[in-house]
Amino acid sequence: MGFKMSSADYVDYINYAAKIIEKDGEYITALDAATGDGDHWINMDTGLKKLVSMEKELSQLSLQDMMKKIGMTMMSVIGGSAGVLYGGSYIAASKVCAGKDVIDCDLLGEILEAMRLDIMNRNKSEPGFKTMLDALYPAVEAFKSGKDAGLEEKELLALIKQAADEGSKSTAAMEAVRGRACYQADKGVGHIDPGSVTMAYLIGALCDWATKLSN
Amino acid sequence: MKKIINNPNDVVSEMLEGFARGNPKIIYFPEFAVISRKEKKRKVGLVSGGGSGHEPAHAGYVGKGMLDAAVAGNVFSSPGPDRIIKGIKEANNGEGVLLIIKNYAGDIMNFELAKELAEMEDVQIEYVIVKDDVAVPDSTYSTGRRGIAGTVFVHKIAGAKAEAGGTLEEVKKVAQQTIDNIRSMGMSMSPCILPNVGKPAFELAENIMEIGMGIHGEPGVEKTEIGNASKIAEVLTNRILEDMDFIGSEVALMVNGLGGTPLMELYILNNEVSKILDSKNIKIHRTFVGNYMTSLEMSGASVTLLKLNDELKELLDAPSDAPSFHV
Repeated sequence: MGFKMSSADYVDYINYAAKIIEKDGEYITALDAATGDGDHWINMDTGLKKLVSMEKELSQLSLQDMMKKIGMTMMSVIGGSAGVLYGGSYIAASKVCAGKDVIDCDLLGEILEAMRLDIMNRNKSEPGFKTMLDALYPAVEAFKSGKDAGLEEKELLALIKQAADEGSKSTAAMEAVRGRACYQADKGVGHIDPGSVTMAYLIGALCDWATKLSN
Repeated sequence: MKKIINNPNDVVSEMLEGFARGNPKIIYFPEFAVISRKEKKRKVGLVSGGGSGHEPAHAGYVGKGMLDAAVAGNVFSSPGPDRIIKGIKEANNGEGVLLIIKNYAGDIMNFELAKELAEMEDVQIEYVIVKDDVAVPDSTYSTGRRGIAGTVFVHKIAGAKAEAGGTLEEVKKVAQQTIDNIRSMGMSMSPCILPNVGKPAFELAENIMEIGMGIHGEPGVEKTEIGNASKIAEVLTNRILEDMDFIGSEVALMVNGLGGTPLMELYILNNEVSKILDSKNIKIHRTFVGNYMTSLEMSGASVTLLKLNDELKELLDAPSDAPSFHV
């Protein structure tokens, strides 16, 4: 039996992810100070805390409405590039959740793919631009290849998490094409992109939570 | 960090509330961080906005002859589409709305999405993107040049055109023409502190200045030993003149403070820049010296030149009662 994630379970995941992001504030802010203006973490933290404060309301919504509400809230509270990119991606995800009661492994793949497409279109970005996409893109690829290889669900989730993490770390070698790091003479080379770090954390936390539910 | 604030998370809302209390001609919508003109008139509406921390941009430019609404984001972060849509609705008087956007990835994504959503409600919307910072190479691949102090001239000129009854198409055209003829270059001497971060994001040694630093503390083109006012004027002005030919033309000049530099120094810089322009046969039609597009408490300045023709001159000289740009 694979995992089945309801709206209430997803809200639990948000709670879990919010704690992970909260814990690593200093590290992410330091990364951001190296290439940006240092507010990425605080904006993400504020946005996730806002979602946590809405847990009762969110957990009672249908999957589709919950995803949409999360998206609208992130756009409004986080602001900036991260807000509109996460917000837009959740709204895109809400569309693939239409009529579904729970997220299973296949739907998780569809959600991640919808998010990836939306972010690429909105930011006119590709992998290698030193952005959050560099964590999400390989995560989607890992889902596909792991699925094709017939991996067990838990192995598949572990593979996705690992791909996001490695993708994020690989941004250190990249020259920034988007975001504030692109204004640096060295295009941020040598520094990990903080947006890819928070994306990798959020994907990793989602994989952890799904793994927990498949027990 | 030493700042006159209460809670770092409330700086934007409390700032806008304070702004609204001192300005009877505007309305403040706290749930959207939008400031708009109280007086409505059948004309093209103008909306600008962006991250906070650049005061008086953009709320200070809301008024007769300039913007109809300003939308504020968190410090140095674009406002989300919901806020921008509110700004569009308040600015819309049935003749369409022009969005004036500074060229940053976040601002463009949020304003574009707001435009799409507001168009579904039958508001006619156009936008222009200001990119005046010559410190950054123009590029179609990456985001390219940033929008900085020159944005204020775009507000002024487009605002005057709209006030004079220009159509949306005409207002957009003159705004774009203004953008095409603006160049800016800045320098910084000390960092700023985001209230919710609490410490400077970078440091500059006592004798060092950074040429071409952005208004969010983005790195510039070069860190170099600080020179005197004459040398600084030369570096900034030459960089602009290398980028666009201003020789023999009439210009509007803006010497803009980044927030932490006294007016005394800005006037000294203006004196030096003006001497250089005189020597190169560039005629200064009008000069603006002050804090127009700031970066919290960052010290430093930027120089902006706008090449004028008769129409731009007339629009620049038209009256404005915006609190931070009286003409």
